[in-house]
Amino acid sequence: MKAILQVDPSAATPLWRQIEEGVRRLVATGGLSAGALMPSVRDLARELGVNPNTVVKAYQHLVEAGVLSVRRGDGTYVAERPPGFSAAERGAMLREGALRFAATAQTVSATLPDASTALASAWKTFQPVRRGEKS
Amino acid sequence: MTSNAEMNPVDCHQLGVRYGRMVALEEVTFTVAPGQVYALLGRNGSGKTSLVRCLLGHQKPCSGHIELFEQDVWASRRSLMHRVGVVSEEPDAPPTMTTRQVLQFCAGLYPSWDALGVEARLQRFRVPQELPFGKLSRGQKAQVSLALALGPRPSLLVLDDPTLGLDAVARREVYDELLGELAERGTTVFITTHDLAGIEGLADRVGILHQGRLLVDASLEDLKARYRKIGWAPPQALRLEDLAPYGPLGFRMGSLGGETVLQGDPAPLLAARPEVQIQDLSLEELFVTLVGADTEVAS
Repeated sequence: MKAILQVDPSAATPLWRQIEEGVRRLVATGGLSAGALMPSVRDLARELGVNPNTVVKAYQHLVEAGVLSVRRGDGTYVAERPPGFSAAERGAMLREGALRFAATAQTVSATLPDASTALASAWKTFQPVRRGEKS
Repeated sequence: MTSNAEMNPVDCHQLGVRYGRMVALEEVTFTVAPGQVYALLGRNGSGKTSLVRCLLGHQKPCSGHIELFEQDVWASRRSLMHRVGVVSEEPDAPPTMTTRQVLQFCAGLYPSWDALGVEARLQRFRVPQELPFGKLSRGQKAQVSLALALGPRPSLLVLDDPTLGLDAVARREVYDELLGELAERGTTVFITTHDLAGIEGLADRVGILHQGRLLVDASLEDLKARYRKIGWAPPQALRLEDLAPYGPLGFRMGSLGGETVLQGDPAPLLAARPEVQIQDLSLEELFVTLVGADTEVAS
């Protein structure tokens, strides 16, 4: 997961939320499968170069949301049936992202069809790679 | 007696230091909670050195006081220092002693000495232990100094610009070692540094000293929520008047648009002006914005 989960300390989004969203995205796209063992706080903190407290905070939020589960004395795992986002959460995130994208598109005077084409091609970048298929 | 876990490792109260008529520190108050990483930032001459000297009990403040684990550091320096690991700006040991000899000397001073841990660290750093300390590179000296500071398993680690003059690799190794220590033992860290990019992922809380006063004392997350950088592109140019209600700092306008850092919540502005976008604000940019020029900061 080293290559896929990345954080930017200088970004406007808090680090723990970047980690939380990154893990959620990996779970949603199949990069992390249900029941998979998560890296230890120490390992992930080192890998990302962030304070372990930050990873702890992200893990706590993910555990509360039911995405991860802790087995005492064993480790942190992806839940057997991780929940997706709630309808409200999904709506809010979509709207926020869409606003940002629409602003960029209008700044470069793209038409709506242009923007849609760009979105469709970006969409494919994040499609989960299915087993046995060549990318 | 309260247990270690509940006591604040650092409690700095109304600290003042004057040299003759020059004021070095004035009414500096902050707290470092257990397990926190507190980064103290400031330009040269901002009072950082005086603050660190007071924090380590090397200097008696003119007013106010600093407590480490609820004991006055000036009065109880000797009994406190076994709980505090220090990496000073200029790592120092007798230049003819080898690292191994320095290690043996330090190990004898502390009953709680973690010989295995120190050995493992020095191996990770690949420091040749048979070489006289004076022959080590600057980076190796800093690494030995960090290994020694962690030797007695301190509850508080004070790092005074530990990456000064180190190359990128040595710097990364020092931060990695620090991360490991944080994850394993939850050691509280007080660090002064000029490497703002390096500390940005590590610090829980940030203090910015400016002209002897603590201009900022906040969690990094709160700071980023309080100050938002915005940018906009032509053709619709924003004027300074449009921004006035949001307390702009360091308004910059170029032919390709403009940017500024706002102290107020930019939501109304973003709603009214779609061409305005929130941009990432690094700790370094924020630092330069706050202390780089004469800016008025709302507290």
